Amino acid sequence: MNVVITPAMVGQVVISGLLSGTLYAMVALGLALIFGVMRVINIAHGPMLMLGAYATFFLYSAFGVNPYLTLPVSMAALFVIGMLLERTLVFRVVDAPELSSLLLTFGISIAVVNLAQLAFTSDLRAVEFLTGSFVVGPFAVSKSRLVAFVFAAIITAAVFVFLRNTKLGKAIRATSQSRDVAMVCGINVGRIHLITFGFAAALAAAGGTLIAVIVAIQPEMGQIWTFKSFLVIVLGGAGNYPGALVGGMLLGLIEQLASLFLTTQLSEAVAYVLLVLVLFVRPTGILGGRST
Amino acid sequence: MSPTRLFQGGLVLIAAALAVYPVFGTGYGVRALLQLFMWIALAGSWNLISGLTGYVSFGHVAFFGIGAYTAAILITNAGWSWPLACIVAGVAACGLALLIGYPCLRLKGPYFAIAMLGLNEVLRALVSYFEGLTGGGSGLSLPTLQASVPIYYVMGVCAAAVTALTYVIITSRFGLRLMTIREDEVAAEAMGIDTARHKLYAFLLSAVGPGIVGGLAARDQGYIEPISVFPLATTITMIVMVLFGGKGTVWGPVLGAVVLFVSQEIVWARFPYVHQLLFGAIIVAVVLLMPRGVLGILQIKYRLPRTV
Repeated sequence: MNVVITPAMVGQVVISGLLSGTLYAMVALGLALIFGVMRVINIAHGPMLMLGAYATFFLYSAFGVNPYLTLPVSMAALFVIGMLLERTLVFRVVDAPELSSLLLTFGISIAVVNLAQLAFTSDLRAVEFLTGSFVVGPFAVSKSRLVAFVFAAIITAAVFVFLRNTKLGKAIRATSQSRDVAMVCGINVGRIHLITFGFAAALAAAGGTLIAVIVAIQPEMGQIWTFKSFLVIVLGGAGNYPGALVGGMLLGLIEQLASLFLTTQLSEAVAYVLLVLVLFVRPTGILGGRST
Repeated sequence: MSPTRLFQGGLVLIAAALAVYPVFGTGYGVRALLQLFMWIALAGSWNLISGLTGYVSFGHVAFFGIGAYTAAILITNAGWSWPLACIVAGVAACGLALLIGYPCLRLKGPYFAIAMLGLNEVLRALVSYFEGLTGGGSGLSLPTLQASVPIYYVMGVCAAAVTALTYVIITSRFGLRLMTIREDEVAAEAMGIDTARHKLYAFLLSAVGPGIVGGLAARDQGYIEPISVFPLATTITMIVMVLFGGKGTVWGPVLGAVVLFVSQEIVWARFPYVHQLLFGAIIVAVVLLMPRGVLGILQIKYRLPRTV
C-alpha cells in the first residue's frame, strides 16, 4: 500500500485522535476509579455504556428529547443501577481473590447484554441528530464528535475538580491509596465503594449517550469499551487517574494514525497489539507507578 | 469392593460402552456424543489454566478458532489428511498461547484476563481480513468427507486425554506449584517457584486441547466462518461448565460438561438469549454461593480425595 502523507492528513489525525481520545479518557476514568478504589476490574463497564446509549435512544425516539439533554438522565439512571449492582453483588467479592471478582463481573456483563437482547432486540438503532461536519480549511470535523468531545472534556475536568477539591473526592482518593488508613481516618469505606461504583457507571453512561449520536446502538456494542478502557488504563499506568487522560489521548491518536494505513478491521487489531506490546515493554504504563 | 475399585470399574464400563456405541447407535447419537466429548475437552482445558492457577482466560475460544482455521487451511489448500492437520492445529494454538502468554503472564493481576478478552475479537477481525487464505467473511468449505465415526473416536480420546492430563498434573509437584500460585502467588514466589514460567506452561498445555478439538470440529462440520469458530458463547460455556462442576478438580469439568450439555440439548437450544442470560446468572451464583462447584461441595461433604 502506498500512502502519501500530507501535513493536512497529520493535522486531521491529531484532531480526530484528540476528539475520540477525550471520550476514551472519560469512560476509562470510570474503570480506573473502580479499580483504584476497590481493586476490581469491572468487566461489565462496557455494558453499562451500552445501557446509557439505549437510555438516550429511547428518550429520543419516544419523546423526541434532544439527545444531549438526556445526558443527566442516563447518568443518573446508571448511577442508581451501578449502586444497586455494587450493593447486591460486587461488594461481596471486594476482598476475595481476583478470580472471583473477574468472573462475577463477567457474569454480570453476560447477563446484562443478553437481557438487553431480550428487551431491546438485537436490531441496530440510531439516533439521527446533528449529522454532517464542520469544514475548516483542509480539516473536516464531524459535528457529533465535536460536541461529544466538548461534553467529555467538561465532564472529565469536573471529575478531576471533584476528586481534588471536595471532601467526598478526597475520601475516594484516600480509599484508593490505602483502604486501611482511610478506615482509620473515619472514612466509611463501604459507602465510598458504593458511590464510586455508581459514579463509574454514570461515566460509562455519559460515554454511551455521547456515542449514541455517533455510532449504531446494539446490545453488544459495549464489550469492546471494557477492553479499550482497560488499554487506556494500562497505557496511562494502573491506579493513576491523570494517567487515564494521557492513555485516552494516546489510544485515540494511535487508532487514527493506524486508520490512515490500515482498513477498519485491522485498526481494531492495532489496539490489541498495542496492549500486548505495552505489557511486554513497560507494564507500569507510560507515566508509571501509582499516584492520585 | 472398595469405592476406588468401584469407581475405576465404572469408568472402564462407560469407556467400553462409548467405544462400541457407534456400531449400534444412531447418527444423531454419535454426533451428540461427539459434541459432548468436545465440550469435556474444552472445559477440561480451561480448567488447566484458570482452575489450577486462578488466572482467568476470557478468550479460550481463540485457540479453538485458530485450530479450526489451521486445520481447514491445511486440508483444503495443502491437501493434508485431517489427523495430521489437527495435530498441527494443536501446535498452532500452542504457538499463539506462547505469543500472548509470555508478555501477559509475567504480570500479576488482571492483565492476562483482559488480554484474553480482546484476543478473540482481534483474531476474528484478522481472519476476516486475510481473505486470500481464510476466505474472509464468506468462510471456508472443506472437501466432503464422511468421517463422523473416526472423528467420534479421536474426539473421545481427546476428552479422555485432557481429563487424564488433569489427573496427572493435580497429583504431581507441578500441579501443587500451580495451586500454590492460585492460593498465594507471593508466597509461591517466596518458596522459590518460578511463577511466570509455571503459569506459562499451564497456559500452553491448556491451549493444545482446544486447538486440536477446533481442527476436529472444522473437519466434522465441513464448513467454517469467523462467526462460527470464534463465538464468545463458546468461552462462556466452557467457563460455566467448569465453575458448575468444580474448578481445579479432575472430574468437575466432566460433570459440568455432561449436565450442562444435556440440559442445553433438551431445553435451552430453543431460547438462545434466555440461555445465555441463565449462563451469566449461573456464573454470578456459583462465584457467590458455591465457589467450589458441585464436586467441591461433594468433596467436603463426603470427604472425597482431592483427585476426584
